[in-house]
Amino acid sequence: MNENVTMNTDVIEELSNRYLLFRIDEAYYGLSLTSVREIIQVPKITDIPGTPEYVKGIINLRGGVVPVIDVRLKFAMPEREYDSQTCIVVLDVHDTSVGLIVDRVSEVVTVEQSQLVAPPDMGDVVSNYLDSVSEIDDKIVLNIDCVKFLEQDVNSLQL
Amino acid sequence: MGIVEPGMEAMLDVFVHETDTMLEELDEVLIDSEKARNIDDDNINTIFRITHTIKGSAAMMNFEGMSNLAHSIEDVFYILRESPEKLKIVFDTIFDLVFQSSDFLKDELNQIRTGVYEPSDPSELIEKIHGQVAVLKGEAPAEAPVEEAAQVESSAAPVEADEDSETLHIFFDDGCQMENIRGFMIVTQLEKVCDSVKTVPANIENDPETAAEIEKKGLFITIKPADALQEAIETVESALSVKSYEVVAKGEEVKAPEKAEKTETPEQIEAELKAAGIEEIKTEALAKEVAAVKAAAAPQPKQNAKTGAKENAKQSLLSVNQAKLDKLMDLVGEIVTTESMVARNPDIQDLKLDNFTKSLRELDKLTDELQDIVMSIRMVPLQGTFHKMSRIVRDMSKKLDKKVELVTIGEDTEVDKTINDAIVDPLMHMVRNAVDHAIESPERRRELGKPEMGTVTLHARNAGGEILIDISDDGSGLDPQKLIAKAKEKGILTKPESEYTDKEAFQLIMAAGFSTNTTVTEFSGRGVGMDVVRKNIEQINGSISINSVKDQGTTFTIKIPLTIAIVDGMNIGLGNNVFTLPITSIKQLFRLTDESSIVKNTNGAEMIMIRGECYPIYRLHKVFGIGDSEKPFTEGLLIHVESGNGNACFFADELLGEYQVVVKPFPVLFNHYGLKKMGLSGCSILGDGSISLIIDAATLIANNKK
Repeated sequence: MNENVTMNTDVIEELSNRYLLFRIDEAYYGLSLTSVREIIQVPKITDIPGTPEYVKGIINLRGGVVPVIDVRLKFAMPEREYDSQTCIVVLDVHDTSVGLIVDRVSEVVTVEQSQLVAPPDMGDVVSNYLDSVSEIDDKIVLNIDCVKFLEQDVNSLQL
Repeated sequence: MGIVEPGMEAMLDVFVHETDTMLEELDEVLIDSEKARNIDDDNINTIFRITHTIKGSAAMMNFEGMSNLAHSIEDVFYILRESPEKLKIVFDTIFDLVFQSSDFLKDELNQIRTGVYEPSDPSELIEKIHGQVAVLKGEAPAEAPVEEAAQVESSAAPVEADEDSETLHIFFDDGCQMENIRGFMIVTQLEKVCDSVKTVPANIENDPETAAEIEKKGLFITIKPADALQEAIETVESALSVKSYEVVAKGEEVKAPEKAEKTETPEQIEAELKAAGIEEIKTEALAKEVAAVKAAAAPQPKQNAKTGAKENAKQSLLSVNQAKLDKLMDLVGEIVTTESMVARNPDIQDLKLDNFTKSLRELDKLTDELQDIVMSIRMVPLQGTFHKMSRIVRDMSKKLDKKVELVTIGEDTEVDKTINDAIVDPLMHMVRNAVDHAIESPERRRELGKPEMGTVTLHARNAGGEILIDISDDGSGLDPQKLIAKAKEKGILTKPESEYTDKEAFQLIMAAGFSTNTTVTEFSGRGVGMDVVRKNIEQINGSISINSVKDQGTTFTIKIPLTIAIVDGMNIGLGNNVFTLPITSIKQLFRLTDESSIVKNTNGAEMIMIRGECYPIYRLHKVFGIGDSEKPFTEGLLIHVESGNGNACFFADELLGEYQVVVKPFPVLFNHYGLKKMGLSGCSILGDGSISLIIDAATLIANNKK
């Protein structure tokens, strides 16, 4: 049993250095792999009345009901028609699953702690949700803090 | 953490669960026994077994306090098991102590469950229990002579047998009131200077009825002075309200009801008591005896049969983690959904597949059966919940000095575990209210010509797909005028006073911000009123109605669905969305050919006349902000809906058919968008994999009324 526990922490440590990069327009964003569960294509989304526009609704993920959020709208960017590249990144944050609709996912990269710098506070919507910024292969990647990103929507969860 | 040593955590769960179950059984046995005023051998053994097990397992888990407490109760019942006849001496005290201990243990368990455990100190309780053990043991040497004496129908009081004990016979001032308490004060004083103190009548501190007896017969206190008798006598002399006292010569008779208990038949007791000339306590003692004798004789065969059945059942019972059951339920829901996905698969829609259809039918039968079984696993009888209530009534009636009896009917009615858990709090609240506020004091009841003993009745029954639970009392009833006045004061009236019918007035007590009792008591009025009860019940799709007659009592009727996991519903289309409306709330579905029956209010509110009744129309398009909110009524579907909050018509696009859907809660992410308040109770996955939203008609109507 103890072996298992140590193995799990190893896995988490290993994952915590790795980021899933996705793109919105030309910008790169990173999500820590520890909270990413899977990536799926956009299925039929059921609209939920009474929710903000960026909450697109709920989807049926193998029998589970998962809410989805459009990252573009959350970042106050104009909406864009979904195409074959559009997909949903399903996150597991504090035992709840949430899907993020992104333009396209690009790759998984390993980022050393030393490569991360604190995000500049530009006072816009996006910088509220950032955890850090890193430079990988000449790309500037804005790493999203999942907890901050969902804070507004899950304040009842006491994150 | 640190509650237990590492490695014991897994055991902790089992310990908590087992102990909890046993404590519930203990309460059950105790309440039954207390009612019967007797503990039969089976029950003594049960209590003994329970406390013994708790003692052992608590010690194993290193919960010293719990173990010690269980140990001390075990001691008591060890003695009682050997010589049950001693029970009478300490009956009430023992029950109180064991109930207190059971509460203490439950508190500890609850703490352990939350993960923050600070062991409390039960030593006070243990001491009291040891005191009772001493009382029981102190009699041991006297046992033989007492029995002998009983046969010759006359003897010294059992407590008198000891050589160096003395008996004081004390009379209090006439009309000084509460003789029993005064006696108890003397006893407490005497305890400081004496090794042991016993009184006749016994149990004076807890039983106010002994006051009358003391007034007439005086109080006998048997003491074993630590030093000299003189010191004790001085104590008595210095006590207030003592009119006179005398030291009873040894061997002189101290007639006490206890003695009578050795006799077998009521007739004999009567004869004996008469012979002894104890007229005033005759009735009471006799009644007790008759009850005890009856209890001992009559239910014996029945109980044996019951225990027999219990033992058989035990072998095949298995406690399962509820999370696993929930998972199983989910899975079955998935299978049902997947099955219809296969059966209605568009790929095979136009093919003629005889063998396939046959197999499919077989599968359908099996999944139906599977679903039924899983549902039945989750069904639990209301028994446990009702027993909790009898415990509450018992405690409260003692504390409030009211005489209240709880009658339960239909306690074997089964409901879904989730529902059972959800109604415990509301029921508890209503039962507390009934005992605290509705049932009058014995004096007042006598004045009103009602029996002194108030009755609270819990009546559960099955009615179609619903369970009805009545909580009725024969207390003071609700006064509609008072309620309206009070509501007016609180500013929660929604129409002129004169327009309120009695029934509507009763409903007012469930409005938010309404509480008729301004004083906070220990049991009710803690800021949680009937509005919380109503909310809790509505959360499980239930409703409450109230009926009351002044001075005759009040009846609350709770209507709850059998299960909330699977709902029979009509799927209706609204724009691109599918909504499910539970069939129980639908009265009628229809299409309009012309709009002649539509009435428009000046403020634009639309209404419809159906068979001479006028109902508001709610356009679901508008309510949910989906699709065309100006659609003509002739192009859509009207649904006549009835709910606890009134009737109305919903307007939607089309009817998609009747479905059985598995209710899933909304993701927690949506918690603060108030979907429930809007009239959506959950969602469900349909056969084609899409999701429908389930409408809660009652909330929707209430929400749109204002």
